Amino acid sequence: MTLAEQISEYRARLEEWLRGLYHGMVTHHAYELIEKEAEDTEDLFMLACFPDAFGIPSPVSYYTAELLPYLEDEFEAWERRMWDRESMLERKGQQYHF
Amino acid sequence: MEKFVFFGGKGGVGKTTVSAAYALKSARDGLETLVVSTDPAHSTSDLFDQQFGDDPQPVEGIDHLHAMEIDPDEEVERHLMDIKRSLGSQVSPSMVNEIDRQIEMAHQTPGAYESALFDRFVDVMRNADEYDRVVFDTSPTGGTLRLLSLPDFLQGWIDRLLHKRKKSVDLYEKAAIGNQEPRRMMKGDPIIARLQDRKEMFEFAGETLRERAAFFLVVNPDELSIRETRRAVDRLEESGLSVRGLAVNKLTPAPDPDENGRGATFLRQRVETERERLETLRETFSQPVVAEIELRIAEVKGNLLDDVADELDIPVAAEVPASDD
Repeated sequence: MTLAEQISEYRARLEEWLRGLYHGMVTHHAYELIEKEAEDTEDLFMLACFPDAFGIPSPVSYYTAELLPYLEDEFEAWERRMWDRESMLERKGQQYHF
Repeated sequence: MEKFVFFGGKGGVGKTTVSAAYALKSARDGLETLVVSTDPAHSTSDLFDQQFGDDPQPVEGIDHLHAMEIDPDEEVERHLMDIKRSLGSQVSPSMVNEIDRQIEMAHQTPGAYESALFDRFVDVMRNADEYDRVVFDTSPTGGTLRLLSLPDFLQGWIDRLLHKRKKSVDLYEKAAIGNQEPRRMMKGDPIIARLQDRKEMFEFAGETLRERAAFFLVVNPDELSIRETRRAVDRLEESGLSVRGLAVNKLTPAPDPDENGRGATFLRQRVETERERLETLRETFSQPVVAEIELRIAEVKGNLLDDVADELDIPVAAEVPASDD
């Protein structure tokens, strides 16, 4: 192995580590945060669509029922998140990975 | 006169009679006319002695006149079954029960009946190209008139849902790192497409009701009916729908001047009270009284309907470019 090869291998490895470190410390958190936000918005959407699930009558539930066949994943995830969520603080605090 | 004409009023005031009479008048004038009844009592069928169903059917013996009767309960059921069918093809069996419960619930809410009725109204208005005039005999439930004033409100609601959905899908797309497939995608999202469809329906309904429809209220000459009418007028005007006139029905016929028996005295006094009520109607409502229809001895049918049609002072000519207002 020539010196040049050794150097380039060292650099490649360093680059991978740095990228991994950057991803773990910065990017992933950011994307996770966005995904959480997306889930929260989706929960709001579901709640606005089906408030009668919580006993709140809605003038559009007749129309939103049409969406249900296409909301399988959302419905399941929504229910799970509704059960899991103990407090807003807990949900928002998840990003810190204590 | 606008293409779509609605007759409203509380139960039993004679909406079916007046709408049928107006439809007859329009048909006699050569306009292809459709009269749409939503009364679960099927009174239009009784009136013409002919059974009508969910599809427009020509009225026997009267040229240019067609009739249909909408059954909102049937529509609710149909809507429910449609959703369940697509549920079966879209959703895994483990989730079907869960979602099924939600769907059943939505169809038992008090609003379902009105929504179904509204859907059918919009459907009829959308597919009314072959008619010059469509006369709606609205069912007596207070909700119907209310629902007619709702498209804006519902449209706003759907808008909000649409906005929320778009926002969450957008976030999901942003959260997909690198080459990962996002969990939801804006392109081809069935939810956004459906909400958009509904939004367009409400837009169409709102616009048609505001610009191409005229409303008339049927009143009886009694205090309760007058009060009820005032509320209905306020409500409709509030939502930008114009009430064109009041049709007074079931007026007591006056006895001949030489009669003086107990019956005649009663009638005379009754006519006097009703004259005062009519006066109140004329003075306190900005809408004109377009018809004064006397109480008939028997249910209005056949030839009697012609007489009633003659008593209506509502123009029939199809939409002319507004020149006088």
